[in-house]
Amino acid sequence: MATARILVIDDEYGVRSGIRQILEMEGYEVDEAATGTEALTLLHGGEYDVVFLDYRLPDIDGLTILQVIKQDALQLMTCMITAYANIDTAIAATRQGVDFFLPKPFLPDDLLGVAETLVRHKQARTEAERLRKEHEAGLLALAEEKTQTHSLISSLRDAVLVVNRDGDVVLVNRAMAAILDLPEFEAVHRPAADLLGESPLAPLVEQLAAPQKDRTIGQLSLGERSYMTSIVTFRDDDGQALGRILTLSDISQVRRLAMEKERFIRTMVHELKSPLGAVRSLIEVATDKSLGDNLDGYLPMLQRAEGRIDNLVQLIGDLLSLSRSEQAESQGEPELLEIEPAVTGALRLQAEKMAAKGIAAHADLEAGLPLVLVSSDDLDLIMSNLVGNAVKYNKDGGSVEVRARHVGEWVRIDVKDTGIGIAEENLGLVLTEFFREKRPETRDVEGSGLGLSIVKRLVERAGGRLELASTQGEGSTFSVLLPA
Amino acid sequence: MSSQWSILFVDDDRDFLDAQAAYFGSRGHTVHTAESSREALDLLETTIPDIIFLDLMMEHYDSGFRLAYQIRKHEHLDRTPVVLLTGVARETGERFDQEGEGLPRWSRLDRFIDKPVTGKQLLSVAEELLAAKGDREA
Repeated sequence: MATARILVIDDEYGVRSGIRQILEMEGYEVDEAATGTEALTLLHGGEYDVVFLDYRLPDIDGLTILQVIKQDALQLMTCMITAYANIDTAIAATRQGVDFFLPKPFLPDDLLGVAETLVRHKQARTEAERLRKEHEAGLLALAEEKTQTHSLISSLRDAVLVVNRDGDVVLVNRAMAAILDLPEFEAVHRPAADLLGESPLAPLVEQLAAPQKDRTIGQLSLGERSYMTSIVTFRDDDGQALGRILTLSDISQVRRLAMEKERFIRTMVHELKSPLGAVRSLIEVATDKSLGDNLDGYLPMLQRAEGRIDNLVQLIGDLLSLSRSEQAESQGEPELLEIEPAVTGALRLQAEKMAAKGIAAHADLEAGLPLVLVSSDDLDLIMSNLVGNAVKYNKDGGSVEVRARHVGEWVRIDVKDTGIGIAEENLGLVLTEFFREKRPETRDVEGSGLGLSIVKRLVERAGGRLELASTQGEGSTFSVLLPA
Repeated sequence: MSSQWSILFVDDDRDFLDAQAAYFGSRGHTVHTAESSREALDLLETTIPDIIFLDLMMEHYDSGFRLAYQIRKHEHLDRTPVVLLTGVARETGERFDQEGEGLPRWSRLDRFIDKPVTGKQLLSVAEELLAAKGDREA
C-alpha cells in the first residue's frame, strides 16, 4: 500500500504530536499545523489524502477550513476531531462535507482505524475518478474520431455516396451533394434508386443495386468533367454484404494530360514523317531517272535529301533533350556556375555562321555577377539554343547581343537579335512544342520547333523563368532569369 | 494512258513539291505547285487542273480539309478529283466520315492517301481517278 499523506491540524501540541507519532508508526507521512492559517498554507502546497482537523482553532475555525477544502475541490478525506462535539457542530460540519467525526479523547486504535478507513476511501475515490476521466476521455476521443472521419469524408475531393444493404443512402459527402445538386442531409435515408434516378448519375443506378463484382470501375462524363466511378461492396467479418460505396474521382486533369500527350505524339509523327517523305520523293526522282541519264542533274535534289536527313537527326536529338528536360532532375549535377563560359561557348559555336551572314556579336556581362545554380549541360544548352536562334533568324549584317545583369534576386541574361522578329499573334505560341512560324522569311530556316520548349523547361527546372519580347521585322529579345 | 494532265500539288514541303514536279514533269504532265492554301486558291482563280493533291497538315492541322471545302465551292472545280495526303489516312478518313455527314460537299473528297507516298503511287491513283472521271463524262 502506497504511503498516504496526512495533515494533522490542532492547536494543542500534545494532541498534535501524539496523533503524529501514532500515525507515523504505521508508516503514514504526517505534517502538522498549529493554526488555521498554517493549515491552509500546507493544504494548498501539498497533496494530502486525509486531514485530521480540530474544530476549534485560535485563528480560523474548523468549519471555515472545511469550506475552503470544499470550495477549492481539494481531493482529500476529512475527519473532525473535537472534544466539544454536539449535534449542531455535527450538522454544520456535515454540510461542509466532513467525512468522519472522531470525538476526543480517543484511543490510538480508534485513530488508526479511522485513518485506515479514510485512506482506503480516498484511494477508492481516486480510482473512481481516474476511471471516470478515462471513460470521459474515451467518449471524447470517440466523438472526435467520428467528427474527424465525417469531416474527412466530407472534405474529400472525390464524391462519395454510401448505401446500406437495403439500398438506402446512409452517407453523402459534400462533393457528391454538389453533383446531385442538393444539401448533404437531404440525401440520406432515401432509396438510392430514387435519389440517383433523376440525377446525372442515373446510369449508375443499376450497377449500384446489383454490381457484378465486389469492385466495379467505370467512367462517366458530366458536362466538361470526366469521372472515374467505382462501386465497392463492403462486407462484415462473415462476408455478409453490408452495403456499397460509390466513389466518383475527377479525372479531367489526367484525361487532359493524356490528350495533350496524344496530340504531341501525333505532331511528332508528322514531324518525323514529313522529312522522310520528302527524302523518299527526292530519291525517287533519281531512281526514276526523271531528269535523264546525266547524274549531275540529280545532285541538287540529292543534296537536299542529305540536308533533310541531317535535320531529321537534329530533330531526334532535340526530342531526346525535350524528354530529358521534362524530368524533374537534370542529368548533370546542378553546381554554382559563372555565366561567362556558357555565353562565350555559345557564341563560338555560331562564329562560322555569323561570319557567313556578316553578323556582329557582342557580349556585355556585368562584372562581379553572382554565380547561378544550374547544371553545366543545361546552361550550355540554354545559351546555345538562344544564341543559335538569334543567328538563325537574323538578317544579313545584323547583330547579336548577349547582356547579363544582376537584377534584384535574379541574374538576367538577355539575348537580343536584330532579326525578323515574331508576329504579335504568335508570341504566345513560340514556346509550344513543334510550333514554327510560317512566313516567307522562315521558309528556308531549318528547325525542329523544339528549341524554345527545351530552353523554357531547362530554365524553369533551374528555378528561373524565360521571357520574350519581339517586334516583327525588328528583332527579338529572349531573357533568361535565373535565381542569383 | 497517253493523255497529258494538268496537276496541282498543294504541300508546305518545297522538296516534296519539286520532286513531284520532276517526276510528273518528266512524263509530260503540267505540274502546278502551291505551298499554302492561299497560294492554291489564288492559282485556282486562273487554272483548272485535272486533279488536285492536297496535304492535310499545312498552316493548321486540318488545312487540307478547309482547302478542299473551298475548292468544292468553285463551280468549275466541281468535277475535279481531289486527293488528300495525310500522315494518318485511316484516322483522318474515319473522322472525315463522321463530320462529313453534315457537309455533303466534303464527301466528294475522292481519296485519302497515307504519307509518305511515292510518285509512282500518286501516278496510279491519278490514272485511276481520271479514267473514272473520263467514263462518267463520256
